Amino acid sequence: MAVASLPQQHAEHAEGGVDRFYEETRDLRLTGFLFFLFSDVVLFSAFIFAYLYLRNSGQSWPPPGIARLDVAFAAWNSVVLFGSGATMHYALENWKHGNFNKYAGMLIATIVLGIAFLGGQAYEYTHLYFVDKVSWAGSGIFGASFFTLTGMHGFHVAVGVVYLTVLLLQSIHGVYTKDKHFGLTAGTLYWHFVDIIWVVLFSIFYLI
Amino acid sequence: MAVAATHVGGGIADHVHPEPQGFIRRYVFSIDHKIIGIQYLITGFIFLVLAGLLAEVIRTQLMNANGGFVSNNTYNEVYSIHGSAMVWLVVIPLMTGAFGNFVMPLQIGARDVAFPWLNMISFWMFPVAGLMLFSSFLMGAPVAGWTEYPPMSLQGEAGTSMWCAAIFLVGISSTLTGMNFMVTILKMRAPGMTLTRMPLFVWAQLATAPLSMVATTALAGALAALFMERQFGVPFFDPTKGGSPLLWQHMFWFYSHPAVYIMILPAFGMISEILPTFARKPIFGYKMIAFSSVTIALAGFMVWAHHMFTSGLAPFMQLPFMLLTFVIAVPTGVKIFSWITTLWGGKIHFTSAMLFAIGFVVLFALGGITGIFLASVPTDLHLHGTYFVVAHFHYVLVGGSLMGIFAGFYYWFPKMSGRMMNETLGKWHFWLFVAGFNGTFLPMHWLGFEGMPRRVAVYDPQFQFWNRVESVSSYVMTFAILLFFINILVSLRRGKKAGPNPWKARTLEWQIPSPPHYYNFKHVPTVYGLPYDFSEPLPYRGLEDELTDAPAPVPAGAH
Repeated sequence: MAVASLPQQHAEHAEGGVDRFYEETRDLRLTGFLFFLFSDVVLFSAFIFAYLYLRNSGQSWPPPGIARLDVAFAAWNSVVLFGSGATMHYALENWKHGNFNKYAGMLIATIVLGIAFLGGQAYEYTHLYFVDKVSWAGSGIFGASFFTLTGMHGFHVAVGVVYLTVLLLQSIHGVYTKDKHFGLTAGTLYWHFVDIIWVVLFSIFYLI
Repeated sequence: MAVAATHVGGGIADHVHPEPQGFIRRYVFSIDHKIIGIQYLITGFIFLVLAGLLAEVIRTQLMNANGGFVSNNTYNEVYSIHGSAMVWLVVIPLMTGAFGNFVMPLQIGARDVAFPWLNMISFWMFPVAGLMLFSSFLMGAPVAGWTEYPPMSLQGEAGTSMWCAAIFLVGISSTLTGMNFMVTILKMRAPGMTLTRMPLFVWAQLATAPLSMVATTALAGALAALFMERQFGVPFFDPTKGGSPLLWQHMFWFYSHPAVYIMILPAFGMISEILPTFARKPIFGYKMIAFSSVTIALAGFMVWAHHMFTSGLAPFMQLPFMLLTFVIAVPTGVKIFSWITTLWGGKIHFTSAMLFAIGFVVLFALGGITGIFLASVPTDLHLHGTYFVVAHFHYVLVGGSLMGIFAGFYYWFPKMSGRMMNETLGKWHFWLFVAGFNGTFLPMHWLGFEGMPRRVAVYDPQFQFWNRVESVSSYVMTFAILLFFINILVSLRRGKKAGPNPWKARTLEWQIPSPPHYYNFKHVPTVYGLPYDFSEPLPYRGLEDELTDAPAPVPAGAH
């Protein structure tokens, strides 16, 4: 929104096609946004540390009486999420080249894949709850760490889906231009960040 | 002036917000870093009074060996909230939010912080969190101290959950401020101000900001886990459900050890500004002081388990944590020696600010020395959980941080208000405060050695004499702080006009009018050197118009 108002407000500053105010604030926002993502990494790290600490303190994992997680299903769901990372990348590239239709298609594909991932996670949660009788509060440290961490990640994906939808609407309304699209850059960074977190979570919950 | 001309292209340096109109936009929901800094200052002082009154409840209870002033449970609530409020609502917000906000952008020659709106939002989270913390008294406040170790914190009443939420909120505020300051210092310095030309207060803020950003987020995770366990029964810390109380201690101290550096590094920066100004001598070892701040900040992340030597930590973990903690004493010692060398042979002016700065060096050094006792495993096994620990952290937090806050306040008050503080009252404040402080906390050293445990409402009658000395001294300290507040109110009305640079200091904030205009600088200056060479001309260009009636810069969008 703030980005939107900048080109008009500072049009008079533009000299030789370069809007210095935009360039400098973009630099600030990008740095600030990277710091935000970094502190979010720390938040995940705190819970990942807690999970590994608790897992290490027990004799076996999963704890006695709890079934192993369904690796195959989660792997397919991961492919969906990683695929959305690819479509997001192409969405931004197409925007930079001015192909609005391809951009919109790729962004919509990203949103749909994100929703599909959340659907898969919802299916996994209900299956765990009703069939394996594993719950957040009732299954000891397994339920606590698994549902808290994957839930936090799912929440980030859900926020991302809303964020990308807002970006789509904004770009339809002409908020961004070919050269000035920091919102789209930030959205892409955020989406890749969510992907990378999932790589870590998938490894520590399903693979080790 | 050529300097101004290079900025007409319209970068951030030329971006001036329109002057805020109306009381609300100007003083309540302000986006001006100077107003936000003063808002933090006032709010922090209000919480200082409240948490200080809680401290007096503690001392009054301990007048008698069998207590009797408040119930034992109320006593537990009082020291828990006293500690939490002093750490999160007083020292951290005053160090970063108040002085960082007011001084840092001026010292780097910026017009504001990088994200003014975010700055306003972080400020407004802080009083809300403070009210939440104090409201926990209404629903049964936490009783497990400011560290809230499980399993006790799991059994506490509803107020403990409120405590989690309040600290979480003030933590978010601190994280956002940290990010804002990082970007501001890294990206918005005036032309020519390289990293090694920054004033040392800015260096201190640059070392503090990543601590607020990283460590506080880790604390947010711990608090969220404790909250979930208390409210929804999700087992993280309860050993009967497979959780681990030790996990909380790891998560908590991974934040809270860096947090002690959040509480002291900015004070190091203030002292490094005040000592050279009043000794009229360049700071000794500029690069070493700057470098040692960064070293302390980094090493601060590797020592948290020294708080856990008696918690059942594996013995092979104790040695590295002990040695790393000793290592932190080295950069701290570098600073202390640099300050002493700065004073050596200087022409010292004993203003109130300078008295507090020198008092800081002495008392902080004492607190640092007792820190070495506690860092070494064999003595810690004896001293852990005694009044020796209480003495140690009050020497670094009151003798250190709070003295630093007073020093900084006396130093920058003329810049904030345009008026001078009353020096006579200031000196009374200093001497009474130092006497009361040492009377309160010095006896705690030997009481701790003799085994008086902390966090108890009643104690062995053999300790009663020294406890009475402490309580009476604590009233003297409170009276000194009362004088301080009277001094502020009197000086705001009657103080003599300060002029732009009453201390003849050399950093950028003193080269513009007091109080500064909302746009800070008419033209952003160019910097040619360090601000500490007292015999040289000022290392700035482009400041010629600041003290004349040259027109104010034109706000963006108003052309």
